[in-house]
Parts: sequence; structure tokens; C-alpha cells
Amino acid sequence: MRSQSVYKVPQGKLLKISVEYNKKNNVIKNIWITGDFFAYPEEAIELMETKLRNTVLNEGQLLEKIRSIITEYHIQFIGVDAEGLTKGILMCKL
Amino acid sequence: MKEEWRLLQTGFDTAFSNMAIDRAILVENSKGKVPPTVRFYGWIPPAISLGYFQSVAEEIDINACKHLGVDYVRRITGGGAVFHDKELTYSIVISETHPAIPKNILQSYGRICNALLQGLKQLGIQGTYAPINDILVDGKKISGNAQTRKANTVLQHGTILLDVDVDTMFSLLKVPNEKIKDKLIRDVKQRVTSIEHIAGKRISFEEVAEALTVGFEKEFHIELVQGILTNEEKTLALQFEKECFSTTQWNHRR
Repeated sequence: MRSQSVYKVPQGKLLKISVEYNKKNNVIKNIWITGDFFAYPEEAIELMETKLRNTVLNEGQLLEKIRSIITEYHIQFIGVDAEGLTKGILMCKL
Repeated sequence: MKEEWRLLQTGFDTAFSNMAIDRAILVENSKGKVPPTVRFYGWIPPAISLGYFQSVAEEIDINACKHLGVDYVRRITGGGAVFHDKELTYSIVISETHPAIPKNILQSYGRICNALLQGLKQLGIQGTYAPINDILVDGKKISGNAQTRKANTVLQHGTILLDVDVDTMFSLLKVPNEKIKDKLIRDVKQRVTSIEHIAGKRISFEEVAEALTVGFEKEFHIELVQGILTNEEKTLALQFEKECFSTTQWNHRR
């Protein structure tokens, strides 16, 4: 199952996220986070996509995972935050 | 005595070369080989630059680009897609540790955009900085900016629209209305303006470059001294153009 979302982060940027996931257990197989936001370093987005594989499409788990990746790899987002990413990802869940 | 920074006026070039030159300056500045640099340039043929995180398929009508002879290139900076046609593009490359540059990224956008605002003022145009990365005149966007920081070095580039053909722009860019959902504007086409529109007359690339030169000098209390790319920068730029910016692998990576 693959689906997409378009989410304008309030006072922020436009996120376009595509998620491929297992419909039976809602586990992410692949994720593509695109949009007009900023992230420092930029390459961190690929790392974020890799690390989010095998995460369940659940608000609490996603938020915790995203926050821990941001902290561990010292990622600075501008125009989007952990909450915005979580919301955009969950919008892909049909 | 004022600190001297380098001013580069590299003229009009392809999208691939333009992005390669900015990256080459960043690399050489990070090695301490060249001083802080402000560059003005244009694009031939017209081109779209995509933000680092954007998807080509989501943002650009590739067939329309081919039909109109418009190139496209992915930037190393985030932000949105920009149609570079009748406009001036600037870039500034400077060490992250330079006292003129706030450590805080958002604040540094503001500082550099202030230089642009000072430049616009020279032309009699009153603009405002609209965080994160826009400059507005009469509530409409006249300039978009994007910054990266690599190897302790800041590269910010952005555009000043000299004139704008919104119909062509939006025939090439796929801009969903979600983009302006919270901006109280009904149509994305109403979101942009240009120097020609505001001034009511044509102002040349050269005049705008001159005004922005003064803007940077005033904002940073420096003197911009006309310079040229070093041989190392030229070699690196050719390498980046060939191995990165002109390749499908780079431009279609997302």
C-alpha cells in the first residue's frame, strides 16, 4: 500500500510525503519526505527516511522516533517540526 | 578601514553552471582560499531551480519545460522551486564564524535579507522581510532566498524578480493551493510581484546589481571589491557541473 499526503505546516512550509506501508500491521516499508522546507544538514532527510522504516503509523511512536532522530543526529528543521512531520506522515494512512 | 569582500559578476550562464559556481565558491571559502563573496548572476536559458528536498515530478511540468526550452536543476539548498527568467540572482558565501553572520540560521536569513532590503531602498522600493525566507513588497513576493551551511560556511542564494510572466511561471511549476492556504490570497498567481511592476518602469539587471552592491555594503559595513573566480574555483565548478548538477542522478534523486 502506497499513499501520499500534502500538508501545509501552520506558519511553515509545504510537506509532500509518500509512504509505502503494510496495510495489515501499519508498519512503514518506505517513506519519501519532500517539500519546500529547510533541514540542516540537508542530507539528514535521507537518514530520517531510512530510520523511519519499520516504524508503526501511530502518532505517539512516530513522534517519539522523529524526536529521537532529530536529537541524536543534531538535525535542525526550519519550516517544519517533529509534530508537522508526524501529522504529514499520518495523513498518508488511509 | 572597511573590511573588503569580493564581488563577482559572472553574467548569464546555464542552471547547471550557476549552481556549480556557487558550490565551488563555498568549497574554496571553507578552505580559507577566497574572502567572503557576493555574486550576481542570471540564467540562460531560463531555468527552474528546485529545492534540495523537492520531488521533480511533484513540482515541475517537465513536458512544458522541454516545450519552452527551460532547464531545471536541483539546488544544494532547501526551499521551493523558482523559475529563473527575468530576474537577478545573488549569492553570498561567508564563514559561519564571521561576526557579521548570526549563528542562528533564521536570524542570519534576516541579516542577509536586510542587505537586499537596503538594495531595494536604493531603487526607491520599500520591502519587508517575511520569515522564513521571503521578501515582500505590497504584500507580494519579490524575492525568495535559500541557505545552506556546509563545512562551517554559509551559502545563501536568492532572486530578485525584475519582471514576471506569471502565466509562464505557473505553466511550468505545479503549485498547489495548499501552499497559500493561510495567506489569504485566492490565487497563487496573485502572490508575486516584480521590480518593474512596483517601479512602473523597466530597471536593468545592471542597475539592480549596483543597488544591491550598495545594500550589501551598507548592511555589513564592508566594501565590495570587484573580483574574478580563481582557477581552483573554475576547475571545481566544471567538475560539479559535470558530475552533479547536469546529471539525471542528481536532478531526479527525489
